[in-house]
Amino acid sequence: MNFHLKLPRRDFIRATAGLLAGYILLPLITGKFRKLYAAAPMPLTGDSLFVVQGNDISKDTIFRMIEKGFAGIGDVGRFVKKGMNVVIKPNIGWNSSPEMPHNTNPYMVEAVARTCVRAGARVTIFDRSVNSARLTYRASGIRQAAENAGADIVFVDDRKFRTVRVPGALLHSTLHVYEDILNADCVINMPVAKHHSSSTLTLSMKNLMGVLGGNRGIYHGDIHSSIVDFNKAIKVHLVIMDATRILLRHGPNGGTQRDVRETKTIVFGTNPVTVDAFTATLFGMKPRDLMFLALASKEGMGEIDTSRMKITRASV
Amino acid sequence: MNSPRWSTVRAAVQCAAWVAFIALLIATRDPLPAGGASDIVPQMSVHLGIAASFSARTVLSAFLPGAIIVLATAVFGRLFCGWLCPLGATLDVSDRLWNPAKRNRLKNAEKSISLKRYKYILAAVSLLLALSGIQAAGIIDPLSLATRSYITVLYPFADYIVKGVFTIAGGFPLIGAITEPVFSFLKDSVLDYNPVLFANHLWVLLFFILLLSLSSLMRRFWCQSLCPLGAILALSSRISFFRRIVDTEKCTRCLRCVKACRMNAISDDGTGTSPVECIQCLECLDSCEYGAIRFGFIRAFKKKAGGDPRKSVRPGFSRRDVLAGAITALTLVPAFRLNAAYRADSSAVIRPPGALPESEFLSLCVRCGECMKVCPTNGLHPTFVESGIEGMFTPRLIPRIGWCEKNCNLCMQVCPSGALRPLEVPQKETAVIGTAVITRDLCIPWAEHRNCIVCEEVCPTAMKSIRLKEETIIDKTGRPVKVKLPFVLETVCIGCGICENKCPVHGSAAIRVRTRKTPANI
Repeated sequence: MNFHLKLPRRDFIRATAGLLAGYILLPLITGKFRKLYAAAPMPLTGDSLFVVQGNDISKDTIFRMIEKGFAGIGDVGRFVKKGMNVVIKPNIGWNSSPEMPHNTNPYMVEAVARTCVRAGARVTIFDRSVNSARLTYRASGIRQAAENAGADIVFVDDRKFRTVRVPGALLHSTLHVYEDILNADCVINMPVAKHHSSSTLTLSMKNLMGVLGGNRGIYHGDIHSSIVDFNKAIKVHLVIMDATRILLRHGPNGGTQRDVRETKTIVFGTNPVTVDAFTATLFGMKPRDLMFLALASKEGMGEIDTSRMKITRASV
Repeated sequence: MNSPRWSTVRAAVQCAAWVAFIALLIATRDPLPAGGASDIVPQMSVHLGIAASFSARTVLSAFLPGAIIVLATAVFGRLFCGWLCPLGATLDVSDRLWNPAKRNRLKNAEKSISLKRYKYILAAVSLLLALSGIQAAGIIDPLSLATRSYITVLYPFADYIVKGVFTIAGGFPLIGAITEPVFSFLKDSVLDYNPVLFANHLWVLLFFILLLSLSSLMRRFWCQSLCPLGAILALSSRISFFRRIVDTEKCTRCLRCVKACRMNAISDDGTGTSPVECIQCLECLDSCEYGAIRFGFIRAFKKKAGGDPRKSVRPGFSRRDVLAGAITALTLVPAFRLNAAYRADSSAVIRPPGALPESEFLSLCVRCGECMKVCPTNGLHPTFVESGIEGMFTPRLIPRIGWCEKNCNLCMQVCPSGALRPLEVPQKETAVIGTAVITRDLCIPWAEHRNCIVCEEVCPTAMKSIRLKEETIIDKTGRPVKVKLPFVLETVCIGCGICENKCPVHGSAAIRVRTRKTPANI
């Protein structure tokens, strides 16, 4: 008997070719699945909101508001489980200090990130800043907040945008979405409520522009349809709206203290459309008057009639 | 021989100084280290200090480090050139490539000695021009040259190559798992956090390559024959006490030291030294097999110690050379000033915030490029001749590449000469560097009747210096459409250029920043 292991040249070549093909194809295939997953339509449930009203907007109060909010929506464990990859997407767009509500309140970000870290998740925080990211992360106080909470704060890496299909797109059939959002087990959208010269208000739905790559100027031609498309492409699991201070005029990055109102409110919800519709009322607006909300409602993406929402209120 | 080689010790110190130079350059970014950053490097040049003081008609205390170095040179000789200068260190390395035979002379030995006088002429021209109000010292000063070349050429090139290699490596699944963490560490520590590029960097590169390649003729060609700072230090070192001393009894005239000397500072018989040319690299000490050479203090003002310096390694410039320098300077004044780009009441390019009025700015700016390195948006770039020959390598804002960032005064903090006044952030927020102007033929709402508003959105002034007015316009097909049309409030606009940068119109923007009008505007 011949114990000599034979590997004919032909088989060797075949095996090598097979391994090579696998090496090249596997990432392509898994990438394909990831796209499909990301493009899954948003669940139409989630017409319930939990609204926390604070006495003031001190760090301590905001921490307690977040605590109360998580308790109200049935504990953080409903969304975040041990070992999960959680992405928190605050607004870190503008090089401004926290006194102006141009970016999400850093205390809120810290409290939410800390809650998720304690639940055993790995938390990543980022935004594609309009101003210089380095300076903006620091000036907004969110870099410090993330470090305090034990979360990773990362700068956007231009290589990491992936093209995804948008099912039922109104305008943009594909979008370039940041990889970390696509790979996350749980995405927490943490916008700040403010006036916006183009979309009238910028809330959670528009906040998703911060995870898109490429030239974002092209979305402003028809901003409302674009906003709807962002929300068709990207799955968000939890929305925590910063309405502790809202910017009434000269948004999204201007104004003075006279344009700021302390509303001391944080809104928790699972559907961005519903959360935004409710938040619009804080500005004294009717949700239907905001065209992106009207469009989203027409597309069946969520409830925008506040009388039909299940709103639970709490105060701290 | 077990004792440490002295030239190795020197090379180690030189290497450490170079590493410190690079570390300071890399640290010249946000957030700046508390102890200041690489602005100390140009401040070590007394040449820049004198020239800027002359042209600005003032005494600039910022260049105190340079003055200290001159005084130290008067005692210890040109230690700075051999041990500390970053350009000297660069040349010592590049000379090994250009000039592997380690020639310190041209074929015509006399010629190489006579070339040495050009550095004095260059220094004279530079200082005389400064006296007449033109500060071109920054263009040829070695420390400006070094920082500028490293900042706008060598660092971005290295950055680009490293990022490219890691990007390719990161594309492979298994290799990427190893390289990506290393890459993110490098990005946090030494690489630039933006893709960094500089307009006109090819001109800086050309100067730099030219300077390095001169060494193929003889080692440290630049230092021997051209360096204006070296010329001033050479004059100072005429009276230095710390020198090379040759024991003429032990010396066999083997001339190994003459060959070893990179500065061509030793007389033909090997016993004499020019204290003016010697940079105390100690190479000769190591080359001598007879222990005939030592470095030590000579008794004050006793010039004869160490044998007779050969005639040709004396200071080496004549009255005729000074005259030649004066005539050159005189010719250069109109050459610099009779330039269409030069207008006393305005600048042809957008200057960084805090910039003094154009003529004062040009007097003080030493062209080191520190502001370009620190700018967090990569908005500042070297000019070539856009603002006249006098403005060569001064900083300009190119908003389409990077805007002037809100809440940021980094460039003013690192400016070594005060050409950019250090404004506090609130004052800087109102400092006018230009004014935005809309080109309606390109602007999307004006020309195509579609909403855009990007410029209005990004405008950082609290009350928005770009406003929108909604109007009904008859579009190209004859239908009435409602459009938000942008316009600029010139009195509020500070010219930061973020609108120009973010304008979604392809190619050149539909909103562009023009330069500020008069010095009174700042």
